[in-house]
Amino acid sequence: MLGAAVAGGAGVAAIRLWGGEALQRLEGAIPGHPALAGRGDWNSPLGAEPARVAQLLRRATFGAGPAELERALSDGFGKTVDRLVETRYAPPPEFGNTGDPARFARLNVAQLQQWWLDHMLQSPTPFAERMTLFWHGHFTSDFRKVGLQTPFIYWQNLTWRDMALTDLRSMLKRVTADPAMLRYLDLATSTGASPNENYSRELMELFTMGAGNYSEDDVRAAARGLAGWAEPRPTGTADIVLDPKNNVVRKYPVYDQPAPGMFVAQRAYKGGPFKYLGKTAQWNTDLVIDQILAQPSTAPFIVGRVLEHFVMQAPPKDYVNRLAASFKKSKYDLKTLMRDVFNSPEFTSPAAYRSLVKSPTEFMVHALRALGAGSQSRMVMASASNMGQVLFDPPDVGGWPNNEAWISSNTVLARVNFVTSLLNAVKPLPSAAEAHRQQLDDVLSPQTASALNQARDDRSRWLLVLASPEFQLK
Amino acid sequence: MTQEIGINQLKRRDFLRAGLVFGAGAAGLAAGYAAVPDAFARAVYAAKNQGITNDHVLVMIQLAGGNDGLRTVIPLQDPKLHDLRPKLADMSVGQALPITNELGLNQNLKGIKSLWDQGRVAVVEGVGYPTPTFSHFESIRIWETGDPTRRQVEGWLGRTLAQSYDSFGHPLTGCACGTTDVPGALRDLQATLTVINNQKQFGFTGGSEVEAAVGALYKGTPGIYGALFDTAIATARETVNTLRSSEAAYQPQAQYSDNAKLVYSSKNQLAAALQLAAELITTGTGVKLLHVTLGGFDTHYTELNRHDDLMGYLDQAVSAFYQDLNAHGVADKVLVATWSEFGRRPKENASGGTDHGAAAPVLLIGNPVKGGIYGQAPSLTDLDGTGNLKFSVDFRSIYQEILGGHLGADPKEILGDTFDKLGVLKSPVATFG
Repeated sequence: MLGAAVAGGAGVAAIRLWGGEALQRLEGAIPGHPALAGRGDWNSPLGAEPARVAQLLRRATFGAGPAELERALSDGFGKTVDRLVETRYAPPPEFGNTGDPARFARLNVAQLQQWWLDHMLQSPTPFAERMTLFWHGHFTSDFRKVGLQTPFIYWQNLTWRDMALTDLRSMLKRVTADPAMLRYLDLATSTGASPNENYSRELMELFTMGAGNYSEDDVRAAARGLAGWAEPRPTGTADIVLDPKNNVVRKYPVYDQPAPGMFVAQRAYKGGPFKYLGKTAQWNTDLVIDQILAQPSTAPFIVGRVLEHFVMQAPPKDYVNRLAASFKKSKYDLKTLMRDVFNSPEFTSPAAYRSLVKSPTEFMVHALRALGAGSQSRMVMASASNMGQVLFDPPDVGGWPNNEAWISSNTVLARVNFVTSLLNAVKPLPSAAEAHRQQLDDVLSPQTASALNQARDDRSRWLLVLASPEFQLK
Repeated sequence: MTQEIGINQLKRRDFLRAGLVFGAGAAGLAAGYAAVPDAFARAVYAAKNQGITNDHVLVMIQLAGGNDGLRTVIPLQDPKLHDLRPKLADMSVGQALPITNELGLNQNLKGIKSLWDQGRVAVVEGVGYPTPTFSHFESIRIWETGDPTRRQVEGWLGRTLAQSYDSFGHPLTGCACGTTDVPGALRDLQATLTVINNQKQFGFTGGSEVEAAVGALYKGTPGIYGALFDTAIATARETVNTLRSSEAAYQPQAQYSDNAKLVYSSKNQLAAALQLAAELITTGTGVKLLHVTLGGFDTHYTELNRHDDLMGYLDQAVSAFYQDLNAHGVADKVLVATWSEFGRRPKENASGGTDHGAAAPVLLIGNPVKGGIYGQAPSLTDLDGTGNLKFSVDFRSIYQEILGGHLGADPKEILGDTFDKLGVLKSPVATFG
């Protein structure tokens, strides 16, 4: 009995590889449309241009509604890649009440989250937002440790967007001196006389090289080399009335505009040359970063992280190395890297198809864009924590784990409930007649196809499309 | 103890893994989960109906970030501590709650101290493993998988679930409370377990119609994540059902309160997580292995207040949990154990904190425990080459004790080796080691 079942399984796989499945055509639930057909496996549709374009928008942006999809389809894949990578980002509106000098004294993190989500939903350059989210998970910081009495965590978001498509060297220098990062990984309290290892270790382990490519001595050496930074000084103070009744007023620091941390020479390491990653020198921040970029592990590490977010789970080594060589040759140019990623044959290979799980933010923003429901960012905010991704609040310094880590009994339930709430809130709903094609490439499991065939109204169809396993993948 | 179920289980296991994340990558795509007929999967699970039958429960509390052992179980008489920690030592030592002449608990561990006085706390000193890594993520993985060589990808509790428990009909045998994702310790492709972040939100807000529609959608889902998705939805539905009856049956017998001011980590709902654990344990849901997490222990800066706050928080939550279990008459079944990826550096840094360290104490709490000090407090004068504490007890000795003595699983089958015995349990259910 069991033996037969195993043989049966192998048989299904073999048939699938030959593509030999008879598709039944029945009268479907949508008037004028034939019944949808599902298959026991999702055959990659990426041989055809429309599916390639749709996948590009799912991964490089936050999915697309019908109009954006239409535009990208008429431009074609290559031109769309050019447009995404080359268009200068549209800056988000300034956060908060710009007339209030003390608006950053008590930063409201919920408002900050909504501010960013609104921009993800409405920005004409959503690729920049997708990249900012990627870097937020990579060079991560959380509002809990950074605090909400300064604009630092807000500035970090602006900085990551600004640096997202520059080059890794420039970006690492900004990351190191970023005020939120100075707090988050303690570089602002590290001194040459008594270095704090936190930033040094994570800079190598999580940001650039990966564990196993440096020694504990290197962690201590880089901590000495990197020491000397301090937070930027406020430009003044403002009085805030905490309690008007009892006239309780407190002074809060005011910052005019985004500024990096300050380097204070007296706080730096004062001893002589020392050894770091095999070389003896008088190391400082710039030299430490240069030395990291000279390591053979750095380009493959960054490329591997990018591929796991944009192309496939566990990308093959030769693929990683090929793109890493080009990345390094371009002097770590991030536009070159992203262009290489999207134009690589692997990006549209069958192995890449539905090989990535949408993060909660991607899933929710994508759902809103599919429905044209750009005003529902509050609902995204409210639903995020139960799916495991709260913006500005990653679980730890490793950022958010991705792909299979997004799947648990708790998170799938939260995803279904989000769809339920969303469909209750969006009125009127757009037609769902084309949703299976525009959002799911018309590549459906038998269960999804059969459920859609039985659905009798737009609400049911949208529920099935947005809650389907197909829609959870990108 | 466990029934050998042979090649069929292995085949399914390999099959799933080939299609999943750790394995063959592109080749795995060709072998979708959809090709496993339901009957096959059911037969495999059904074959496991002769696992552990006792009602013992384990609750692992993760102190995430690297808990400072020298501020948890504090050396009271060692002058060297004050040399190494001019800012941190005085307060710790002066206010500690002595448990022996040499050792004291952090002053905020008052409830745990009172359990110690009742002989219900085992302090295992100097716990670690050879050639420690100072990376959070590597060391977490080592503790989660029980494998310092880093080859094992499944969690030690996940393997226990898969190998030793009858999962057929008991999807709540393993449960992570107060989190959204599966903790690495519980992870195993074959383990059935659930994850409950917040009980109040654990239900289908669209009602039974949506639940049924989704249940129908997630069957035989293709692709490399198909099995995970289908299992997650099926488990979510089972969990909704279970919670409906357990919530109705449960009356808390202790005050649980989460410290809203403690914002050091997003993982700061320990009391709520333990209350949910108590509900599942006391209402007979069949839960056996639970995992909860308190974050914020990566105290590189201003450690003094932060760590004391965390200790106090841990103490209150654990005390309430014990009181609740005791009032429900189930405290004899439940063992609580803390774990953290590493301790912290004996020498403090310029930020009034401590960097990543190595060996640290583990606390085992509950009626099954034979109270006392086990292992050896690490020397502050004989540090390793990185200036860190040397370990005297391999962490897998503790796992072995839990698996063999408390749960009645076969530790060697799960850990792949035997380790020194500690004897921390009053009446082990079986001989082992």
